[in-house]
Amino acid sequence: MAGVAPGESHPVARGRLCSRGWNAHEASFWGGRVLHPLVRQCGDVEKVSWVAALDHVEAKLRDLLRAGKPIGVLGSARATNEENYLAGRLARAALGTNHIDFCHHATFRPVLLGIEDVTGDSSLAIRLADIESSDAIVLIEGDLTSTHPRAASAVLQALTKGARLIVIGCARTQMARVASCFLEAAPGHEGDVLNGLLAAALALGSCVAHTSLERDLRETKPTDEMRAAAPWIAARRAVFLTGPTSGSAAQIRSNAAALASLAAITGHLGQPGSGLLPLLGRSNVRGACDMGIAPDRLPGYERIENADARRRLERVWRKAVPAAGGLDAEKMIESVSGLIVLADNPEAVLPFGERARAALERIQFLVALDAFTTPLGRFAHVVLPVASYAETAGTVTNIEGRIQKVRPAAAPPGEAREGWEVLAALCARFEGRVSWASAADVYREIGEAAPRYRTATSVGADEGWESRLPPQPEQVHGTPQAAAAAGLARAERPYVLARDGAFDWSDDPLIAASPTLNREYQSTRKLFPNGFVEMNRADADALGVRTGWQVKLTSVHGEAILPVQLRSGLRRGILLVPYGFRDKVCNVLYEDGATAVAVERT
Amino acid sequence: MSTDVFLPQIARIEAVRDETPDTKTFALRFPAPQDSAAFRFHPGQFVELSVFGCGEAPFCIASSPTRPRTFETTIRRTGTLTDALHRLGPGEEVGIRGPFGNGFDVEAARGRDLLFVAGGIGLPPLRSLIWNVLDERESFQNVTILYGARTPVDLVYKDELKSWAATVGVDFHVTVDNATPGWTGSVGMVPVLFTKTTLRPETTLAYVCGPPIMIKFVVQDLFMRGFRDESVVSTLERMMQCGIGKCNHCAIGHRYVCRDGPVFNFKQIRELVE
Amino acid sequence: MQLPVLMIRKSDVGPWLATLIAKAEVIAPERGLCGEVTFSKIHSPEQVLWDFENPLWPPKQFVLPQTDPIVRIQRSGDGIEIAPIYDDRRRILFNVRPCDAKGIAFLTRMHEADPPDASYLRRAANLTVISLACNKPCPLGFCICSDSGPFLNGGQDIQLTDLGEKYLVEIGSEKGEAAVADAMHLFGAVSEDEKAQRKVLESEARQRFGEQTCHFGSAMRRISTRRVDDALWERMSDWCLGCGGCNFICPTCYCFSVKDRGGDGAWTRCRTWDSCQYAAFTLEASGHNPRAERRERMKRRFFHKVSAQYYVRDGMTGCVGCGRCIKVCLGATDMPAVVAAIRQRAWHEH
Repeated sequence: MAGVAPGESHPVARGRLCSRGWNAHEASFWGGRVLHPLVRQCGDVEKVSWVAALDHVEAKLRDLLRAGKPIGVLGSARATNEENYLAGRLARAALGTNHIDFCHHATFRPVLLGIEDVTGDSSLAIRLADIESSDAIVLIEGDLTSTHPRAASAVLQALTKGARLIVIGCARTQMARVASCFLEAAPGHEGDVLNGLLAAALALGSCVAHTSLERDLRETKPTDEMRAAAPWIAARRAVFLTGPTSGSAAQIRSNAAALASLAAITGHLGQPGSGLLPLLGRSNVRGACDMGIAPDRLPGYERIENADARRRLERVWRKAVPAAGGLDAEKMIESVSGLIVLADNPEAVLPFGERARAALERIQFLVALDAFTTPLGRFAHVVLPVASYAETAGTVTNIEGRIQKVRPAAAPPGEAREGWEVLAALCARFEGRVSWASAADVYREIGEAAPRYRTATSVGADEGWESRLPPQPEQVHGTPQAAAAAGLARAERPYVLARDGAFDWSDDPLIAASPTLNREYQSTRKLFPNGFVEMNRADADALGVRTGWQVKLTSVHGEAILPVQLRSGLRRGILLVPYGFRDKVCNVLYEDGATAVAVERT
Repeated sequence: MSTDVFLPQIARIEAVRDETPDTKTFALRFPAPQDSAAFRFHPGQFVELSVFGCGEAPFCIASSPTRPRTFETTIRRTGTLTDALHRLGPGEEVGIRGPFGNGFDVEAARGRDLLFVAGGIGLPPLRSLIWNVLDERESFQNVTILYGARTPVDLVYKDELKSWAATVGVDFHVTVDNATPGWTGSVGMVPVLFTKTTLRPETTLAYVCGPPIMIKFVVQDLFMRGFRDESVVSTLERMMQCGIGKCNHCAIGHRYVCRDGPVFNFKQIRELVE
Repeated sequence: MQLPVLMIRKSDVGPWLATLIAKAEVIAPERGLCGEVTFSKIHSPEQVLWDFENPLWPPKQFVLPQTDPIVRIQRSGDGIEIAPIYDDRRRILFNVRPCDAKGIAFLTRMHEADPPDASYLRRAANLTVISLACNKPCPLGFCICSDSGPFLNGGQDIQLTDLGEKYLVEIGSEKGEAAVADAMHLFGAVSEDEKAQRKVLESEARQRFGEQTCHFGSAMRRISTRRVDDALWERMSDWCLGCGGCNFICPTCYCFSVKDRGGDGAWTRCRTWDSCQYAAFTLEASGHNPRAERRERMKRRFFHKVSAQYYVRDGMTGCVGCGRCIKVCLGATDMPAVVAAIRQRAWHEH
């Protein structure tokens, strides 16, 4: 595989790619690949045949089932829909459990729930083209230009056409610098800004009355900037973009709900060219959700309590689907005896970081399916080699909800097989008499389980690139709500420490296995193996520290000592720790995404 | 030099010497006589060294063509490649492309007073010229060598430094930023050594090499003392890949550190445009 | 010495192509996956597209692939075997645009420069470039501003001009002569009227470049003398998303990295496309990065492309005005936009 060429007629790319896209061939070609099925017993690793490996997996899982021990399955945001769907089927139909989740879900779920709280539909998403033709963009961001370059591109195109950009964040990022209005908000306090915008929008008088919202916002005083921005937001076409903000899951959910409320009260839900876009952070987060890779969700991201959804699935699978919800990824890893992990590295992705490692090492029987060698493979009991993203057939679903067909560009190396085939084989061993002849066959079944995936939907079909957009919803009634108050106790702890960049790419094989992309991330890891905390220069001067000097951070939960890195554009009083170093501050942050800290020089 | 600019020649490690806890000197030789004969280098040039299975990186030659049996390079362990290199021993093979770069203008130094100012790992590139000068001592006037490192253990070529100190015709001084028990020499950063020697700005060519911040302070000091910018010479470092002026990683304006450098005088450095 | 100028009827081009296909890989624009135009190897003359918009992926990939294996390293017994990897396949690029022909000529000059790059030059030596002059400008092109089109006047292997029923065939090199040698019976003499027609077509084409020009002059002066404000670079760099696309599709960009691939005693050393817009392009092992800021990297790119220093070194501007960077830019910082901003000393304000 020699390179990447941009598809000029591709409806999303239109000939343009980000740095990851231009080098997407590298990981597959240069990366450490799993080539053969491996079985680890008593510390020895042995190469075995596929049949022997699958026999071993089946035997061990049956042992656990007989002993009534819990088994879990982790799907993946970097797997195809077919792989995820079959992982879900393996868990629910073959193994009879709802312990199914994917590691990135924890990060993005609160955003989707917040949107669902207000609109009833977590799948709402505009097109990227809608951003380009919008009049106003409201963006809550970490650093869009590095997390979602394609979306940032759409924002820049819109700006060249005269659109207004309102950015809410704690650092003066590139998007903030080109914005028409930058509303600074400390991590966890984005809700205050959103409430201000809600109040300012209500005050315009052009919004539909919402008495409970108005009551909740009675005390809210919008700033002048917010008042100036409100009429922009009330423009004909406005789009609202958010990734997960800092703070607890509850805060993220509440912020997403407040943003959705802003869209609702300014009449931008259910309008062509306007609406919400949750910024999901891997190639197939949306697809994993749609495949029901969640302990309390079914294909179509339907709630497990939804009896109709359960019945539909039972008809397709001809098997009962357990009704009680299962464990999420973190709880799963800590409690199950058997675990099957598809294409992921839990300790790099899950919020609880290194704790995952200890938990994973305690699992009695751990199976890893991956194309790339990851830390998980070093202690899994069985490693099954699967094809990479460039070597597999299937579909993926982007942040627009666009379902796209992927075709293999090369054959998988060694004995690796397409992931859907491996999962299908595992399903067959437990369910008997089930088989799928091709990825397309699996996709057909997905269409039965999740109606949105039925290929009959031809709206927005693009013949050449074989992608399908879901139809835009026509009537969306929002139940707007204000954001919850932040309530960080600040008196003795004048700084806010937050985790930054939940979109940490550096451990993803697409990056880690690519020589060109990996070196971009390597320098900070090499120079600061023990992590660092980012600080504004004025704060550093006030504390009497320079780059590289250590500071002690103390919160209600505990303390940590870290070197300082100066970050220009960061708001005073805010300290950010890159997601990749979250373990270094786990004592301080505990389960919060943002917390008040005292800082002193050591 | 080989006919194909990307083709490494095999070189064998003759000897490895520990200089500091993280720095080693490798003495290399080409087993194939035609490679050995073809490898003609000047002080100040560098090679692209391949650790097979790891990759390739540029390292300056720390020895002189006046001692041609082997050539030496002194390398600090900073990453994957140097880590792998440090695990190799005598008899093992590496790949060498080169020599590359402009090297020091030895002819221009003949008849002049020479001042060498080095900090830490900046001494190896200067040693290539120092050896050349010492081997042809009569061609050069006064020779002064000033060297400093963070602590005594960080000094490289420890035994050789003693021999320089003992050589008649060489004015050698050493200092450390932080002394450790047993250190009886100067303490302080390299510029403190200027007071220990006679500097002759009108006749001297000064060669300065070390960490960027050290070069900055030393060079400032020299200019204050009347050195002209064409008389102060340094080596620039940049990320390199090809070593032959094609990959563009080391370009500064339209100059390439691998071709127009790595040796530059400060007049040229000031003229670098980007 | 007068270079041969011949004529071929359009109906005879198919047979001519057949003789070329018989002796080399002929690469021409054709409709490929998803109906997009790509330069690919053709098997029959009918595949050649004559009316097409220049695709983003440039023909430079045929002299400089994105991943280019150059050395094979292998452990054998106690020793190591090292051998160069050469690509000696004969290729003919057929029906490329003058900008792309000039781009390849530029790349060849870069790789011929001391020390010559044998790997590149072997490929280039086996490549014949047959271009078709542009009677009308393409939508985004500004080749007229860098003397790379719409017609070339020298330096090409063969330049075709569309005269209606026939093509004028200007042969400019031995390789060009060899390309017609097997089909001489298909070529005829050119009348004085036809030669005049070619001049008229060129002149008309040149006049049709409306607004899409890109005036390098004052930008070159300012870039070369460091008279572009850092503040302007800073503002412009906020509109760049660091994708590297401009470098990859540019016919004259050739920055690369060298990496070893493989393991277990056998490695292939590959040259791979790289981008000066990537932060780690200049990252040193010590962690120091002289171009850590995006504006420094932008400055670097435009210095290489537009400065007088490079113009003097290379004999031409490092830009053939093909317009691809306008299409591929994920941000808004293509060549004409940046050159205009430097001329006007202002980036678009909002």
